[in-house]
Amino acid sequence: MARPINLAGRMAWRDLTGGPSGVLRGLGIFLACLVLGVTAIAAVGSLSRSFVAGLDRDGTKLLGGDVDLRLTHRQADAAQLAYLAEKSQARSDTVEMRTMARPLDPEARRSLAELKAVDDRYPLAGTLVTEPAMPLARILERRAGTWGAAVDDNLLVRLNVAIGDRVRIGEAEFDIRAVIKKEPDRVASVFSFGPRFMVSRDALPATGLVQPGSQIRYHHRLILPPGTSVPDFIEDLEREFPQAGWRIRAADEAAPGVRRFVDRLTLFMGFVGLTVLLVGGIGITNAVAGYLDERAATIATLKCLGAEGRLIFAIYLIQILILAAGGVVLGLIIGAALPWLGVTALGHLLPVAPEPGIYPQALITAGVFGILSAVTFALWPLARAREVRAGDLFRDRVAPARRRPRAAYLVLIALGVASLAALTIATATDRWFAYWFVGGSAVFLIVLRLAAWAVGWAARAIRNPPGARLRLVIANLGRPDTMVPSVVTSLGLGLAVLVAVALIDANMTRQVTERLPERAPAFFFLDIQPDQVADFDATVSRIDGTSNLQRVPSLRGRITHIDGTPVDQVDIPPDSQWAIRGDRALTYAAKRPDASEIVKGDWWPADYAGPPIISLDANLARGFGIGLGDTLTVNILGRPVTAEVRSLRQIDWRSLRFDFAIIFAPGTLEGAPHSHIAAIEAPVSAEDAIERTVADRFLNISAIRVREALEAAARIMEGVSWAVRGVASITIAAGALVLAGTIAAGHRRRVYDAVVFKVLGADRRRVLGGYVLEYGMLGLLTAVIGAAVGTAAAWGIVVHLMKSDWAFDAGAATMTALFCLAVTLIMGLFGTWRAMGQKAMPHLRNQ
Amino acid sequence: MDAYPNGNTGPKGHRGMTTAPAVRTGDLHLTLESEAGEVNILRGIDLTVAAGETVGIVGPSGSGKTSLLMVLGGLEQATGGDIEVAGQDLTTLDEDGLARFRRDNLGIVFQDFHLIPTMTAMENVAVALEFAGRDDAFDRAAEQLKAVGLGHRMGHYPGQLSGGEQQRVALARAFAGTPKVLLADEPTGNLDEHTSEQIIELLFGMHDRLGTTLLLVTHQRSLAERCGRMLTIRDGLVAGDQAPLRQAGD
Repeated sequence: MARPINLAGRMAWRDLTGGPSGVLRGLGIFLACLVLGVTAIAAVGSLSRSFVAGLDRDGTKLLGGDVDLRLTHRQADAAQLAYLAEKSQARSDTVEMRTMARPLDPEARRSLAELKAVDDRYPLAGTLVTEPAMPLARILERRAGTWGAAVDDNLLVRLNVAIGDRVRIGEAEFDIRAVIKKEPDRVASVFSFGPRFMVSRDALPATGLVQPGSQIRYHHRLILPPGTSVPDFIEDLEREFPQAGWRIRAADEAAPGVRRFVDRLTLFMGFVGLTVLLVGGIGITNAVAGYLDERAATIATLKCLGAEGRLIFAIYLIQILILAAGGVVLGLIIGAALPWLGVTALGHLLPVAPEPGIYPQALITAGVFGILSAVTFALWPLARAREVRAGDLFRDRVAPARRRPRAAYLVLIALGVASLAALTIATATDRWFAYWFVGGSAVFLIVLRLAAWAVGWAARAIRNPPGARLRLVIANLGRPDTMVPSVVTSLGLGLAVLVAVALIDANMTRQVTERLPERAPAFFFLDIQPDQVADFDATVSRIDGTSNLQRVPSLRGRITHIDGTPVDQVDIPPDSQWAIRGDRALTYAAKRPDASEIVKGDWWPADYAGPPIISLDANLARGFGIGLGDTLTVNILGRPVTAEVRSLRQIDWRSLRFDFAIIFAPGTLEGAPHSHIAAIEAPVSAEDAIERTVADRFLNISAIRVREALEAAARIMEGVSWAVRGVASITIAAGALVLAGTIAAGHRRRVYDAVVFKVLGADRRRVLGGYVLEYGMLGLLTAVIGAAVGTAAAWGIVVHLMKSDWAFDAGAATMTALFCLAVTLIMGLFGTWRAMGQKAMPHLRNQ
Repeated sequence: MDAYPNGNTGPKGHRGMTTAPAVRTGDLHLTLESEAGEVNILRGIDLTVAAGETVGIVGPSGSGKTSLLMVLGGLEQATGGDIEVAGQDLTTLDEDGLARFRRDNLGIVFQDFHLIPTMTAMENVAVALEFAGRDDAFDRAAEQLKAVGLGHRMGHYPGQLSGGEQQRVALARAFAGTPKVLLADEPTGNLDEHTSEQIIELLFGMHDRLGTTLLLVTHQRSLAERCGRMLTIRDGLVAGDQAPLRQAGD
């Protein structure tokens, strides 16, 4: 066995490196496609891992300690605090809530702010950076009867105040003494609706904001004694206080939102990388086929000299492996270097600085993808190469083999494809999305291939089109070695991805900028105390322009058990995991909310008085795997409440009406301290008056301007969408590479055609005009087919996956399609220009 | 009886032959499919060539002479009849078996040389010997190149050699494995007269040295007449089979 492999290796190397033609002749596109794909996957993997490493490195700082305990509505009791004091080396307690910041000028704008009251041990980990730089205690201390505050930059802008000015929070006044430049644990805070307003914990009582049922989050951060095992500490804590109801997080779980974001980003960009590899795969197939076609005479000669088919296959497989290894290594070097350079240069600008470095697992994954796809996509032309007819050497020209490969090779190709799919699914952070990606890619390729076949068929079916130029163009589109299949499939796939991304993005943006504002209320109000309800209702209803006031009781609780099983032991799909991540908003109601519809079970009587029962979101019930008669246990203010599911509701979350995944029947929650939340509709002109009236009359109530929140969301989406489109456009780059390869492969034919036309008297302009028409038609067909496939995919995703409204954005699709047309024309004409300059005689002699 | 390295017994001409034939065909047919329908290329060739014999094959273009060579080389599958070359029934071999058969028994020389452009002259000659697993492939290749007068051009690539030199390399390659049968298709078709003469001298010189059976397709009657026997193919049939006049009159 060793001898044939040695022989094949020797022949492969000799053929690859010998002769004056150079090693890479004909395989430049192969390498470019492979390098691009591997670079994309390696860069995404490395970037993702550098973020995760950054999160791990800064976990303690981001969390504010080794362990963070969070309680809503109340702080730990004396026994709990004593236990924490005994077991920890240091502890810092902070209180966070939303509130309204009001300048002293009664006409000035108010602003929602994230209030954070800190003790004198804050921060336990990391450093708070302020401007001017001074100790936090000095900033926040009480001077001449007034407490100090440190605030975010943009609070100063929103309120039009400066350092030294005074601002009211609740019933207290604060001197703004510093601007916060860096807050070490800020990224770990999930709720960040407004700018930070940091005060001393001792100042909190003066605000009057701490009221029963208010949405207040108490954090107890701990530094554990050296050598303490954090998991053991947490286990002991849970055993000691099983009903505490706190959310416990260790440093390795700091900033779960950022981790989720990184996960999603990795997933999306990873799929873009794989798409690049897929599009490039078509380029690989074409390039290898072209390379082997050029070597058809050599292959025939080897066969004449006694080389068996297996040896021929082995020789060229080894060549492909050698080149693939080179391409993969180059891709890995670039893919590792790009994020490293980017992170080193720009990392400090991010909320969590990524850890630059070499991440072997990311590189190994990218390398395996590269080699596997290179071999899989090269197998078809390799298998066909052994079918080259040696006897053709006796004729003028050795024709490249066009026979279907033998069954054994078809099985190998199928295995390669299956391995790529399995690797995609195995390495994705979300299997479910990976299944969709693999299935979607297969459908995309099949549809594009069918469309290309239809174009070729139509071109052949057209009889006698008018004009010689058009006749030639249509003949070229229909000829056996036409560029249509590879260009439509590769560039079409890149374009389809870009159009799909652009249309999904346009629909999402439209939701936020047009559809949601149509339905959304003007304000949400939080923390309305039960004794303020009547006054609040009357006050806001009196303001000119307000309408449709809705108000419901609200408190928070954490789901701890699903039908008696602890949530951490239940397998919950990703789309339902949001419900168990932290505290959930709960309410109770006698009447069914208007926005939702009962799909199973019955709503309870208005005068229900019995054991706890709930109405549950039907999608969540499906995710939890429970139904009517099953139970959910929710920890509310440290008390576990187990309630039976009485009905399931289909909730339209897009309506922005008040609705809750979990609604209790009357009789369970009324006794617990809680507040109310409200929403009201109003024209823009009334917003300032509403905000001022509510903020001045009800010092503890927070008002969220929905339009501003949506505008902020739209701005973020706009930034994200450009980034997403930018990343997705790499697929077009891969498609353009394939196009370049296809054009290069057709160079010989184009030169011959151009020479014949010139001999027949056609001037340069006329010949060029013919090619403009050919590439224009090819580009247009690819653009139309790619845009149609991309649009269909976007429609499916928006309507069926995201369950959102669909609108076709002709602008986004057209711009993307025009881009594709331009790429085809420019690259085609560049190739043609080279062909035009050729002298006639040598080519005519050679033919 | 003369003995040669390839086992042939010597060029004794086709008449009075007593040893096993190098080539034997019986009612050999070759029919190919084309867009215009079936084309009968060989329509029943009966041929016996003795070991060591030299046969010039002539005939008009499209008569089937090159196709006959391809079938004898196992490069085209006969559609009917019997065919035995160097004692091997070719109809029983699959594609890889035919490749091994060529490696061990045949040498082929083409009009277009068909050297591998990415290999040096030395490597081109050694390649078939390497396929056969011969450890002395490069030594043997060097000997052969020296024998054709290219000892000083061994490291050159085909693109760096003249047409005549390339055909010499092809001859060296064809004879390197001391084949039992050598098939040559218009070996001088792409060469000028002077170079052609040199190549022909080399070809026959090597045949004389090695005793290889030589089947030579050519348009040049003068070249065919140098062979011990001249076969005329017309419309896929043997239209004439005779000793060349020059030799017959000798």
